[in-house]
Amino acid sequence: MREVSIGQYYPAESFTHKLDARIKLLLTIAFIVMVFLVQSLYAYIAVAAFILIATLVSKIPILKVLKSVKAIIFIVIVMAIINLFTNREGTVLWSWWKVVITVEGIVTAVKLALRLIFLVMGTALLTYTTTPMALTDGMESLMYPLSLIKVPTHDIAIIMSIALRFIPILMEEVDKIMMAQKARGACFDRGGLLKRAKALLPVLIPLFVSAFRRADELALALDARCYNATPNRTKYKQPRLTWRDLVATIFTAVFIVLVIAINNNFWGLY
Amino acid sequence: MQIKVEDLKYTYSPKSPFEKVALEGITFTVNEGDTIGIIGSTGSGKSTLSQHFNALIRVSHGKLYVGDMELHAKKVDLGKLRQSVGMLFQYPEYQLFADTVLQDVCFGPLNFGMSKEEAESRAKEAIELVGLNFDEVKDKSPFELSGGQKRRVAIAGIIASMPQVLVLDEPTAGLDPRGKRDILELVTKLKKSYCKTVIMISHNMDEIAEYCNRVIVLNNGKLLYDTTPRELFKDVKALEGTGLTPPHTAKIASLLANNGIIFSDLPLTVDEFVKAIKGGIAL
Repeated sequence: MREVSIGQYYPAESFTHKLDARIKLLLTIAFIVMVFLVQSLYAYIAVAAFILIATLVSKIPILKVLKSVKAIIFIVIVMAIINLFTNREGTVLWSWWKVVITVEGIVTAVKLALRLIFLVMGTALLTYTTTPMALTDGMESLMYPLSLIKVPTHDIAIIMSIALRFIPILMEEVDKIMMAQKARGACFDRGGLLKRAKALLPVLIPLFVSAFRRADELALALDARCYNATPNRTKYKQPRLTWRDLVATIFTAVFIVLVIAINNNFWGLY
Repeated sequence: MQIKVEDLKYTYSPKSPFEKVALEGITFTVNEGDTIGIIGSTGSGKSTLSQHFNALIRVSHGKLYVGDMELHAKKVDLGKLRQSVGMLFQYPEYQLFADTVLQDVCFGPLNFGMSKEEAESRAKEAIELVGLNFDEVKDKSPFELSGGQKRRVAIAGIIASMPQVLVLDEPTAGLDPRGKRDILELVTKLKKSYCKTVIMISHNMDEIAEYCNRVIVLNNGKLLYDTTPRELFKDVKALEGTGLTPPHTAKIASLLANNGIIFSDLPLTVDEFVKAIKGGIAL
């Protein structure tokens, strides 16, 4: 259960950890756009280099970043296979009955898989280097324009931070309940899919019961401390932009330009 | 059933920034018939240690024998082990899940391969043993019951499998004084039948003093004392630095000792204390 690594903060002292959360969020969006811009093989190499450099700078073990891909590996494989078989144009490599595999099909399948993997690795870096608190504060700050048209941005931010905060608590709870049921002879890793799903019921029911109990208690605690009694809450830590944010932005911008240049064969590489 | 722990070590999330050493080379033996108390402040490794007895945490370093089973071996018959070692977690009422009390209590016995009839007769026995009216509660949803009743049902769910060793992780936490007494009397009753050995984690030194014949003190993952409660609590300074306080009887005895009233042997329980006073030691 502790293996799930998406959305988990990894404490370290690094350049990336010290970046402003808002900048990191914006750069992550820029990164996602960049990944979708990529077309040629060389551009893929450029993105891989970007991720590698970003990982090294943030001092997070590369293995840890690769592990984040584990969660979506199933989707990646299914998507790649679908692409492999549905692409019917181009040089036929192998065909049997109605199944046709083309060179182009293989290329698109690999490209799609890479694109998904890059996306997850890049966004995993964001959650590894930013605490949930900083992340939601950053989001709230970025959503500021929406608050002008009466969108409750602060409430959205608090809901998000509570949700993030409770992930580890509920994980711990799952661990505890699983142990308790194991002690009563329950077995979660034997039998077919249906049997395994059924074996999870004794875990899920107490988990939901306790989640509702916690929600109730939390709501009471928020009320007891007069949450939302004052309209304009101030922040203890005011975020400030530093030279690091400028460097990171320039670095990302350079790579986006690079990818676009490679896509358009600016240097005549192919 | 004897439990032997030899140089047991355990580290959470090794080789990561979250690394935490929980146990540092623990060695002791629990003999059949013992009621052994494990005490220590929060984070001293009590729960980690107790979860080893049931192979909920596998031995990563050292040796652990439960009866004739070797828990440090690669393959352990988990079914057999978990039936013979019953484990009651903290706040066990949060583990209830089934539609009815009867089904919930039957969960363990059925998992351990008993027939439905046998499981139900065991469940009936267990529910009555914990002091609930079987016919009244068996068809109720466990979520309708009161807190104390839920705890009893949860305990019934453990003892219905007839374990020979019972591991209790703070069995009385959050109960009123009456509820506490009931649970501990139940443990005493169980000891007279099939469950001869009890391992009890507790923060309540009065309970340890009254019910345990041996006590293990853990501090930061290390074994500090392995002795009898009487020996341990005799020395008022023994528990200094562990974040634990001696039971009330020991505290009063030490205050009396400061004023020149000395007991020949430390009275541990309230009854013993009263008897000692009435016996004319003080007055």
